[in-house]
Amino acid sequence: MERFVIIGAGAAGISAARVLRDFRPNDVITVISTDETVHSRCMLHKFLGHERDAQGINFAGVKFFEKNDIIHIACQTVHKIDTAEKKVLFGEDYSAPYDKLLIATGAGFFIPPIPHFREAPNVFGFRDLSDALKIDEAFAKGKRVFIVGSGLVGLDAASALCQRGAEVTIAEMAPRVMPLQTDDYAAGVYQRAFEDHGCKFLLGIGASDAVVDGEGNITEVILSNGEHVPCDFIIMAAGVRPRIQLALDSGIAAERAITVDDHLRTSAPDVYAAGDCTGLSGVWPDAMDQGKAAARNMAGVDEVYPKPYPFKNTSNFFGVTMLSVGRLDLTEGADILVHKTPTEYKKAIVKDGKLTGYLSLGDISNLGLYLHLIRDSIDVSGKLDKIFRLTFADFYGINERNGEFAYRAK
Amino acid sequence: MNSCTDCLSRNTCQSADKPMENYIRQLPRETAHHRVAGQSTKCGFGLQGVCCRLCANGPCRVTPDAPRGICGASADTIVARNFLRAVAAGSGCYIHIVENTARQLKNTGLHKDKIRSEQALNRLAGIFGVTGSDKYDLCVKVADTVLSDLYRPEYEPMELVEKLAYAPRVKRWKELGILPGGAKGEVFNNIVKTSTNLSSDPVEMMVSCLRLGISTGLYGLQLTNLLNDVVLGDPVIRSAPVGMNVIDPDYINILITGHQHSLFTYIQDRLLDKDVVAKAQAAGAKGFKLVGCTCVGQDLQLRGEHYTEIFDGHAGNNYISEAVLSCGAIDAVLSEFNCTLPGIEPICDELKIKQICLDVVAKKANAEYIPFHYETRQADGDRIIDEIIAAYKERRGNVPMNLFTDHGNKNTLTGVSEGSLKSFLGGSWKPLIDLIAAGKIKGLAGVVGCSSVAYGHDTLTAALTKELIAKDILVLTAGCSSGGLENIGLMTPEAAELAGPNLKAVCKELGIPPVLNFGPCLAIGRLEIVATEIAEAMGVDLPQLPLVLSAAQWLEEQALADGAFALALGLPLHLGVPPFITGSKLVTKILTEDMVELTGGRVIIDPDGASAANTLEAIIEEKRKALNI
Amino acid sequence: MKRIFIDPAKCDGCKSCTLACMESHRQDGGHGLYTLDLTDPANQSRNRILSDGQGGYSPIFCRHCDDPDCVRTCMSGALVKNEATGLVDYDAEKCAACFMCVMACRYGVPAVSPDRKRMVKCDFCQHLEEGPACVRACPKKAIEVREV
Repeated sequence: MERFVIIGAGAAGISAARVLRDFRPNDVITVISTDETVHSRCMLHKFLGHERDAQGINFAGVKFFEKNDIIHIACQTVHKIDTAEKKVLFGEDYSAPYDKLLIATGAGFFIPPIPHFREAPNVFGFRDLSDALKIDEAFAKGKRVFIVGSGLVGLDAASALCQRGAEVTIAEMAPRVMPLQTDDYAAGVYQRAFEDHGCKFLLGIGASDAVVDGEGNITEVILSNGEHVPCDFIIMAAGVRPRIQLALDSGIAAERAITVDDHLRTSAPDVYAAGDCTGLSGVWPDAMDQGKAAARNMAGVDEVYPKPYPFKNTSNFFGVTMLSVGRLDLTEGADILVHKTPTEYKKAIVKDGKLTGYLSLGDISNLGLYLHLIRDSIDVSGKLDKIFRLTFADFYGINERNGEFAYRAK
Repeated sequence: MNSCTDCLSRNTCQSADKPMENYIRQLPRETAHHRVAGQSTKCGFGLQGVCCRLCANGPCRVTPDAPRGICGASADTIVARNFLRAVAAGSGCYIHIVENTARQLKNTGLHKDKIRSEQALNRLAGIFGVTGSDKYDLCVKVADTVLSDLYRPEYEPMELVEKLAYAPRVKRWKELGILPGGAKGEVFNNIVKTSTNLSSDPVEMMVSCLRLGISTGLYGLQLTNLLNDVVLGDPVIRSAPVGMNVIDPDYINILITGHQHSLFTYIQDRLLDKDVVAKAQAAGAKGFKLVGCTCVGQDLQLRGEHYTEIFDGHAGNNYISEAVLSCGAIDAVLSEFNCTLPGIEPICDELKIKQICLDVVAKKANAEYIPFHYETRQADGDRIIDEIIAAYKERRGNVPMNLFTDHGNKNTLTGVSEGSLKSFLGGSWKPLIDLIAAGKIKGLAGVVGCSSVAYGHDTLTAALTKELIAKDILVLTAGCSSGGLENIGLMTPEAAELAGPNLKAVCKELGIPPVLNFGPCLAIGRLEIVATEIAEAMGVDLPQLPLVLSAAQWLEEQALADGAFALALGLPLHLGVPPFITGSKLVTKILTEDMVELTGGRVIIDPDGASAANTLEAIIEEKRKALNI
Repeated sequence: MKRIFIDPAKCDGCKSCTLACMESHRQDGGHGLYTLDLTDPANQSRNRILSDGQGGYSPIFCRHCDDPDCVRTCMSGALVKNEATGLVDYDAEKCAACFMCVMACRYGVPAVSPDRKRMVKCDFCQHLEEGPACVRACPKKAIEVREV
């Protein structure tokens, strides 16, 4: 009987636990998490918007640990891994021995070195349920929110809070919202949607300083242009950093992220890492896949985890949906094709007969194949005339054995 | 039984006529009843009328992802266009019939041929306001009056409309601007309207349906009957056998199908001539008999009083024609119009049954086409007779007999018309009005139109009729619905037992069945004359009458044109299945709701006999209440 | 598990399956093809019959894949590969309408509901005893349920 320990109950941790249980019905699996309950960080805005309670954003399902006979040690943060003794240390004096260990500690929000920001008690991240709870508490006292960053996390927080009547100001260093996923046009559509719901944007502008009260709370943000924006609290959504402190403290190799090989093994024997802490990708499905791949390796399946393709996202704010895959920013030597109607906007970046980026704003139904075309560099050179109307019919094939579909070159 | 027929036999549709259902099920060949199963997957776009094949960009079909055709036509436009096109085609069919009927009358006058009802002739002359030097000249004048209206351009109103129609209705039609121009021109114009990228106005097109309905109803239906009465004789109420028992294998049997009864007049008289009978006898038969099927049989039955010798009786409606032919004792099919199913062709081939067609519009693939020309009718007639005798000789003894001698009944009441019924009541509608006013008869329901099989052969027609008579509603029938109902005995005096207590008492007292048989679909026009005369006698407009119509198992485009007339008359019209309109909310609303405001009529769609009967009863109750009866 | 097998060579493009799917999932309480609202986006079909560009058709039906892209990418737990039936089940209550599944399915099966609040995908007509409505509606037997 082997003992498997997983640190973290996010996408990678839970997916690993599930796969391990499949492979090892009788072994001991333990998940240790700082969070009390499992929750999907991608659904935090539903919690903050008061659309759902904590159970409502539990992506693992009701009684996941009980049903799968997994030990869950909640509200505990592992502070050290004893790689020699093969045990993890947590709490005041607790430890858990392991035969195989998975680090799935994720990433934490990042606060840039702006005066007062790192110390102020009213500056919050928006990564975990605990963050959302803190924001909820702050919001009860004041409705003026200053959000730093207009990526998906910042906009998630903004949409949740403005629906609850907040006065939201969003500062974005880039000249447009969601700079990684959009182009100027799509960004404009989203910006207007948020503005229609009462949000204010400060684009191409950063926070450079702050005015604080006696308790160190920021009461005004001072912008790079010298302007003062009064606020009750601040949400930081200007990027994340893989959580590597535990690895560093335990002598496990890490630079910006925990170093892993193609089997998701760390530098320590029988210690694996998966998810955002590996820095391989920052998106949910890749964390799920990494958790699964790490678990399979931990269970003894020799499996290479392929390099993930992290440039993919969908967004849905106020019913405005967008699919954004590939690199819209890399256009050198590429053809940029655009299709625009009053209700739709589509953009394709094509280089050497392959799609390298695709954006669709409006109805995104049935567009999944575009990610596949980009990720797998499928040749579309003969199909440029219908680049915005490609469907699986253009690559249609059937696996005669099991009836599944298969891509066929046509 | 071999395995092939075994597999066919399990798959026939239900029929209200259970003995017939069983007979068809064991037939060693395919009929429409067998083909229902194979066609049970219906195209939903077709059902809803939102498949458009008007141009090479099509077919376009409406879905949530594609709510308009390539041209931009909405579901409303596509449905209205398809519907108007169907109504126009249906109107064309009936106008074709009245045109040939009028030409027959004219030729009868020109050739001074036999006139069976001078009374009918004088009645028409009176309505039209025409006179003639003698009865033959009068035939010509009457026929010419009709023909000149039919041939008018579409922009010239037809003159007889105001003479034929009930004044309060004409007033309303004028207000709506739907008095029809020349009937053929109306068909032409509306077909143009529905062509590629012409009209896209669903409301205008639905109003046009009413205009076509009026020309169809007054000319195609009412006048065809009245013109035929002159040449063929007035209907007389009598008892007659119906069903496949009427077929006598000792005779050379000719199955007649179609709607243009007057095209047969010459030949049906000729078949009784001694020299022709002698020919039949030389071939081994006792003589000739006509066997009725589809509406032309129904019409002959209606006038059966004048044809007791040549006419065996009515075997059944359109959807048993394949079964009738399968009995082996039919030697020829003489057809001149529709409801002659293509499905009879392989059966005729197999059983060596001669097919002859008298009118090219109904040309059957296997039929010999011998066009009817008045001038050459004698030579053509003899040729037809000789060919039928040849077929008789070739086939008898060489094809199997599968008679169905106990099918149907011997005492169906037939011959009911606006004239014969009024005479029966003592020359006035008052007795009937009194019965209605007293509540002995709750109301009148015309259960009319076709027979269909896709959802059961005559099943809805029969279920609805039984429900209605049980509610003391007197049912009047016309069309293939009559053929189905008579074969299951609903027009025998014994059927009174199935009626509600009040209606039952009336039936027993008068010795009539609770379902009165007006004969062919053309006689829907007679039924509407009855309604008009009753309204006139009561001093009310048609929509006020406790009268409802049901074309429960409407089948074809002609039925839709008939239905448009019913709506123009302001009558509630029940249909078992929607006429391919439900893809348009607008068209559906016009027909089922807004029509009440326009004409007083409306369409009620209900595939269930019991609930449809409840709805129709409620309408009758409502109208009784408004009349204070 | 059971899967709808497709023989594209037999498909006529009649879309009887499409209408059967719409009818099977209509929410207006009505019954029968006559009254199915064909223009209401809420009635969108879960299967699609697309032209193959060569005069034939490519029927797109959810495969309920052995290793489903949509389930792997779901961050709410709304999409689950049911171990017992092999089907990819969807729980609209759990769904966060992020549409990562729409992005992830390489065959382009999942769609977005008109109100942008749900994803729309084949549920194998588990509410019908007789099985998928599309299969029964196909006049050409181009689709059939087989055990895999």
